[in-house]
Amino acid sequence: MVKILVTGAGGFLGAALIERLLELGYTDIRCNLRRKSIIPKLETLSKQFPQASLEYCIGNLKSKVEARRAAHDVQIIFHLAAGLKGDPADLFLDSVVASRNLLEAIADMKPMRVVLVSSFGVYGVANLGRGTIVNEATPLEAHPEWRDGYAHSKLRQEQLFREHQQRNGFELVVLRPGVIYGPGGGHFSSRVGVMLGGSLLHLGGNNLLPLSYVGNCADAIVTAGMHGQSAGQVYNVHDDDLPTSRRYLRAYKKSVRNIRSISLPYFALRLLSKVLERYNRYSKGQLPPVFTPYKVASLWAGNKFDNSKLHSIGWRQLVPTAEGLRLSFAAFRAELDRTELNKDKASMKFPR
Amino acid sequence: MNIAVVGCGKIADSHVEEIRKISSARLVAVCDLEAIIAEQLAVRYEIPCWYPDLDRMLAEQNVDVLHIATPPHSHLGITQKAVSAGCHVFLEKPLAINATDARLLIDCVQEAGKKMTINYWPNFETPALELKRFVVDGDLGDPVHVESFIGYDLGGRFGQALLADQNHWVRNLPGKLFHNIIDHAISKVIPFLKEEKLSVLARAYRRQSSPDDIVDYLPDELRVMIIAGSTSAYVTFCSHARPVSHFLRVYGTKNTVHVDFALRSMLVEQRQTVPTALGRLLPPFKYARNALGQATRNVGEFASSRYHYFAGMNRLLSSFYDSILNDTLIPIPYAEILRVSEVMDEIFAQIYPVI
Repeated sequence: MVKILVTGAGGFLGAALIERLLELGYTDIRCNLRRKSIIPKLETLSKQFPQASLEYCIGNLKSKVEARRAAHDVQIIFHLAAGLKGDPADLFLDSVVASRNLLEAIADMKPMRVVLVSSFGVYGVANLGRGTIVNEATPLEAHPEWRDGYAHSKLRQEQLFREHQQRNGFELVVLRPGVIYGPGGGHFSSRVGVMLGGSLLHLGGNNLLPLSYVGNCADAIVTAGMHGQSAGQVYNVHDDDLPTSRRYLRAYKKSVRNIRSISLPYFALRLLSKVLERYNRYSKGQLPPVFTPYKVASLWAGNKFDNSKLHSIGWRQLVPTAEGLRLSFAAFRAELDRTELNKDKASMKFPR
Repeated sequence: MNIAVVGCGKIADSHVEEIRKISSARLVAVCDLEAIIAEQLAVRYEIPCWYPDLDRMLAEQNVDVLHIATPPHSHLGITQKAVSAGCHVFLEKPLAINATDARLLIDCVQEAGKKMTINYWPNFETPALELKRFVVDGDLGDPVHVESFIGYDLGGRFGQALLADQNHWVRNLPGKLFHNIIDHAISKVIPFLKEEKLSVLARAYRRQSSPDDIVDYLPDELRVMIIAGSTSAYVTFCSHARPVSHFLRVYGTKNTVHVDFALRSMLVEQRQTVPTALGRLLPPFKYARNALGQATRNVGEFASSRYHYFAGMNRLLSSFYDSILNDTLIPIPYAEILRVSEVMDEIFAQIYPVI
């Protein structure tokens, strides 16, 4: 049995990936975690699979020593660890420098397969027309730095993997998930909109959301990662029956909470972004360029999506979209109920 | 002048943005031991060159001022290289790992005939400069007591980076979390403490325990009392009070002043001059007029695009560059910078005693 390393194992997707690997009978798994406090979450999971042996490797891949320790003696790496938010320097440290350390650690190890979980953010869609289909042949972002730190760091991470793959000859499989959602995840992707105070500025309109239910995404990663013909390939990952942003928001309001939302049509958002960009230049950055025409065109112009390449290697959606949304919304509602309960408990401690 | 930055972590963004606003400055290169980190900064700001090697950058670029935004343990060595290469230096705080290194650093700059200053940028914001004028004009009287309060959000961009990484360089500083922040608070009280001999009493603690041992490792609340002859000071570092405040309150023999760095205002609390209950009615109206004046001033600065988050840093930098170009006084006296380091040493010796 091969020894598998999963980096970012304690994260939202990482835990789902470990569960899927265990379900499919992979038993020798090293979980790379940044903190010990995440272990109980994975222990609960591993108890369901008594034959499995989960090894916990606590360490930050930003350290070369810890990256070497994590990669020691493994044959397959699922690399999920990445910076998701923060300043560009932090995103680059967490995604690119950490990846470089891991790649240097495996330079002499063969045979080796590396499965990189990248992102839809690497596609350069700003100059494509509205409604263009995004698939694996879509050009990569030419100016990720104009978009955001996350897209910039993920694209640089992919470039780094390709450079090292050519130098060291390991097998590389790249997966580019769209919006991963599910219980324990975020309520709104930026493709739906942004929170302003307690309200949602709804920017997605009738755009399709490239949703990927966390369990389906994990299954796609394992399917592609373990497939005999996938070396050197890239796969976009999203579910089949994609909802529009408006449909998602409507269902959320019905099932989770009646959040106040303000819809901004695309043409108004474009106009606003032009004004904001011009003011940002004029004032030398007095207000941040939250929206620029480039970012707006990248995220909210509206594309169609194609996952046929993933289907071609045998992937099938395990959890239907309607069920994925139902499970997610039920979990979001339970989260809110718990928060309310905690508030009530706190107010009972300090009666007025 | 040709400017370069060494250390391309997240604070480097603010250096780059403020350098680019100064007409006499030209940013020529950036450098970081991690080439990838230098590269991302250069790409985002269209800086012509980036280097993973400081010696090479100093050899290839004709740098007049080097901004040092690396962790403090490297400041002394980098400063020595920079002044040997003919550069003036602008340093990110804290200046050094301890007062001994701080003194060596300043000595090496002076011996090379160069200039340095440190990024105490809030002290150059408009209300802080108003306070200086107020004191110089004699409106405060003699300082009796000073309170410097700095709040910190552990959930913010800097706090999260520190808490998530057990190898973060801040954890290895003698004063850990406090070491990277507290000089902003101490540097505000030092100009009021004229007596040579200072008595310092410091206490630190962690307010809440955490299930995460990496987080639990760091005390996050600090209280300091300083007595210098007839003037005293309180310095507070607070991670849990909300809103996250940042203020200086100076009690003088004539008036008391409250400078709020978060709200960018300076309010003067004057003596009650009208007797009886009428005297208690009037002051709130004076405060309201004072606050309205400050708000109007802020609106004016915003309208003329001078209300950036790091506007104080821009003033400090302009003043430092001018001191180089015109060979005038540096914006922060070296004696004040050194005294801040000495007080920090004393605080950390008390809260993290070497056993």
